[in-house]
Amino acid sequence: MTATKQGYQERIEVLQGTLDMLILQVLQWGPCHGYALSKSIRTASGEILKADAGSLYPALHRLERKGWVGAEWRISEIGPRLRVYHLTKSGRKQLVSARSRWAKLTGAIAGILNSAQRRSET
Amino acid sequence: MKLPFWKRKQRDRELDEEIQAHLTLGAHEEMEVGRSRTEAELAARRTFGNEALTREITRDIWGWRWIADLLQDIRYGLRLLAKNRGFTAIAILVLTLGIGLNTAVFTAYKAMVARQIEARDPGKMVNLALVRESGAADFQFNYPDYEAYRDSMRSFSGVIALATNSLRLSVPAAMSGFGTPASDSKIGKSGLSPVGNAEFVSVFVISENYFQVLGATVLAGRTFDSFSVPQLLASPSVLISENYWQKRFSRDPEILGKTIYLNGSPVTVVGITPHDFVGTQISAPDFWLPLGLAPVVHADEHWLGNRENHCCRLFARLAPGVSIAQAKSEMNVLADHLRGLNGPDSASAKRATALVWPASPFPLPLKLYAGLSSAILLIMAAAGMVLAVSCADVGSLQLARIRSRENELRTRLALGASRLRIIRQLLTESVVLGLFAGALAFLFSWSLLRVSAVLAANAVPLEYGTLIFNVNPDFAIFAYVFAISLVSGILFGLAPALESSSSALTGAVRGSTSSMRNRRTQEFLIAVQVALSLALMIAGTMLIRSSINSLKMETGYETKHVIDVELKFPESLKYTPARKLALVREIRTRISALPEVVDVTIARLSGEDGLLTPAQLIDSSKSSTQPVSSIHYVYVQPNYFQTLGIPVLVGHGFELHTSQLERTIVISESEAREISPRQNPIGRTIRLGLVDELFHDPRDLRADGPTYQIIGVARDVRRTDLNSDDSRQLYLSMPEDKVHSHPILVRVSSGASQVIRTIDPIIASVDPDLVQTSITLDDRLRQSPSFIVSSIAAAIASGVGLLGFLPALMGIYGTVSYVVVLRTREIGIRMALGAFRRDILALILRESARSVLVGLLAGIFLAIGASYMVRSVLLGIRTVDPISFVGVSFSFLTIALLAALLPARRATKVDPIAALRNE
Repeated sequence: MTATKQGYQERIEVLQGTLDMLILQVLQWGPCHGYALSKSIRTASGEILKADAGSLYPALHRLERKGWVGAEWRISEIGPRLRVYHLTKSGRKQLVSARSRWAKLTGAIAGILNSAQRRSET
Repeated sequence: MKLPFWKRKQRDRELDEEIQAHLTLGAHEEMEVGRSRTEAELAARRTFGNEALTREITRDIWGWRWIADLLQDIRYGLRLLAKNRGFTAIAILVLTLGIGLNTAVFTAYKAMVARQIEARDPGKMVNLALVRESGAADFQFNYPDYEAYRDSMRSFSGVIALATNSLRLSVPAAMSGFGTPASDSKIGKSGLSPVGNAEFVSVFVISENYFQVLGATVLAGRTFDSFSVPQLLASPSVLISENYWQKRFSRDPEILGKTIYLNGSPVTVVGITPHDFVGTQISAPDFWLPLGLAPVVHADEHWLGNRENHCCRLFARLAPGVSIAQAKSEMNVLADHLRGLNGPDSASAKRATALVWPASPFPLPLKLYAGLSSAILLIMAAAGMVLAVSCADVGSLQLARIRSRENELRTRLALGASRLRIIRQLLTESVVLGLFAGALAFLFSWSLLRVSAVLAANAVPLEYGTLIFNVNPDFAIFAYVFAISLVSGILFGLAPALESSSSALTGAVRGSTSSMRNRRTQEFLIAVQVALSLALMIAGTMLIRSSINSLKMETGYETKHVIDVELKFPESLKYTPARKLALVREIRTRISALPEVVDVTIARLSGEDGLLTPAQLIDSSKSSTQPVSSIHYVYVQPNYFQTLGIPVLVGHGFELHTSQLERTIVISESEAREISPRQNPIGRTIRLGLVDELFHDPRDLRADGPTYQIIGVARDVRRTDLNSDDSRQLYLSMPEDKVHSHPILVRVSSGASQVIRTIDPIIASVDPDLVQTSITLDDRLRQSPSFIVSSIAAAIASGVGLLGFLPALMGIYGTVSYVVVLRTREIGIRMALGAFRRDILALILRESARSVLVGLLAGIFLAIGASYMVRSVLLGIRTVDPISFVGVSFSFLTIALLAALLPARRATKVDPIAALRNE
């Protein structure tokens, strides 16, 4: 109980623009429903990133409206119908460009941080 | 990808299901690690976070929220409108009138006045006319001139000619549909009754290239584009209009190839023109005949060659790349050459300037119709004023209403509504109101146009065919007018809303009702409202009075008991002038023998014909430096004045059996006043220019012109042609050779209609080939263009006036009384401080009257301006009409004072404490 709670607190809220990219990335591995998506993000980030339902569902619907993901209803083995999302063609393109932007951004930030580190080391 | 709004409900359900599934999965997992169901479900919910908020935010993603809000606003707006029935009814009524009337007026303008001709690429088509040096405009050309323009102008790729005729139609009895005589047609109505079996049809006589130059096609059959004149003469052909084919031959498919007779000449129907096709005109004829056949149907081989036969209007298509100015200068050169081909005394020999302007069915550029354009301007101005009044009305009503809702708005702001949301709410209400009014206005303008189309169709003479007038409200115009009224409503509604919402935000003290600035705005609005309404009402009442005047038709001569009999001789060489004269004499004798007939004379009506000649008084004492001016003249027989009941005031009329008859003249009162203001004109001599029944201007006076001795002065008669209050008139004694070209005027003691019925058989018994029109002068005047224009203008303006009066009163009452209601609190304070009731009432009345008086003053100036403008169209009204001014101003002031008095009295009777609590 305590461990879970601690882990819960250590999780970092995902930035909004980043969440979109993460969702697209997870969907690239295969179609997925909302609950599984939030779990995937959590586990794939080593329990560090947290995609809250309050931002996940708006993000999913926003992506759907933009046409980057599609959705369909599937029957689950445990009972309720599940809304399963998949990546569309334009979603795939969007993911590529988002990743390259992200790479640039992190590279730039890393550059600044590294030079700062070097300076503090000297 | 935006989901359609109607799938919203389904999508909402699906979102619920999706979230529910999320929770179920979460709980399921928690149960797998060994929790109880309730515990697991709680944990899942906890992990999920704020479920409702998530739902809300997700829903917003799909962009439905504004629609939901809008629906809510509309519902709320409708509820409020239903609650304030009085306000709603007035606002909608006022807006409906304003929008509907303007749509109708501007649609009619576009469909009738600013109408284009029916042609492919009409922008390249132009009208041709000449303006003579005298200022007289000539739009009828003779055929040789037409040929010259057609063949030698490089600026035009095609020139077409059109003449309107009414011809006698006869069809072989075997043809289907025959046997419906003309009794129900316009011929019957206008009193034109064919002698024998004939029936009159409207025929547009057109140049053979007409359809080709216009780029028009036929519905069936062919046109005569490819035919040369000899070919046409060998096999005469005619086109029938779809409208007449339908009306007369009930769409008989066999019509093509059938032979009909026009004025007795056989012609074959070779084609049918499309439904409502009007070409360069505004009406659809019954038949289209090639000009090449005109000599045949008119039985006059010189019909085309005769330079004095100004038969045709001309239209042309500009050659590619040629501007109107270039065409005009080329036409000027040619026109100058052509005038030399006319006889030196002919009006066509005068120097003239070419007029070339974008094609329109109107024979002259609109600016040359002074009377008509001021009538149009007047109607449009009246309509515009109605719109302005209704906008001001609705604006001030809105303003008042928003003020009364300040508390509500403040409460809503306090409860957390955003300012934008409040503004949107108010906007929605204005728009909902506007939409209601718009829908009603569309219906209103549609029915207005229907009625006016019927009126207009009845006013068109037979030879112009069936008037084609698209009566559907023009959507662009409707949208434009609607937008104006909507925007004004919104502006008025929004300005105070912005202000009040901001004051509420800054936590202003409650009950800030009578801030000076607000009152100024309202007083200004009241003044504008009053000014516009006053000007409108006065223009309206003047028009009403004018229309009553024109209905009374004080022409200055007897109209009800005089029958005008116009004879039409078959156009054949058999009818020589001598034979015509003999026939007229015979008919006259027989009519005179009727018991009801008091007198018979032969003349055209003075005050009706447009014949002008220069005239100059010859003064023996001084050299001839007397002014020369053009004056209308008519030929009359000696008993003219007596037959028409025109008194001869000074001197005497023409006397029979005087050898000097030809050298004497009777002048009208106005002319006498003009040429010899102080002296008795009797016995003096006057010199005239040519009196050859053509137009002449002062330059045509020649020193050797005929002179006449003035023997009498007759009372003025009113001219009935458009835009003329010139009563100067000359009466010449009619020579024998002109008798047959003038109508017969029959004065009866009673029973004019019975006499009219007996005239037809009399004429038929004299010569069955003659055609006659008999109509009382009274009925004829009612068909005159000036009567029709002024009565239509008056009808519209009276309608506008009446329709505008009620809203104007309601608007003034509403606004004034509201401003006073707003001061209830102030009145309460004054009363509490010990003011006398009388003083308070006086104060309120004074302040209310102030803005109304300012408005009245401004309105009077506006109305004077308007009445100067309309003078030329109004029959018999010369100056501003004081009765209208005083009456309308007085009723406005009364209603305003009443509107101020009632709420003020109520306020002073209220307990001051209650008044303070009022807000």
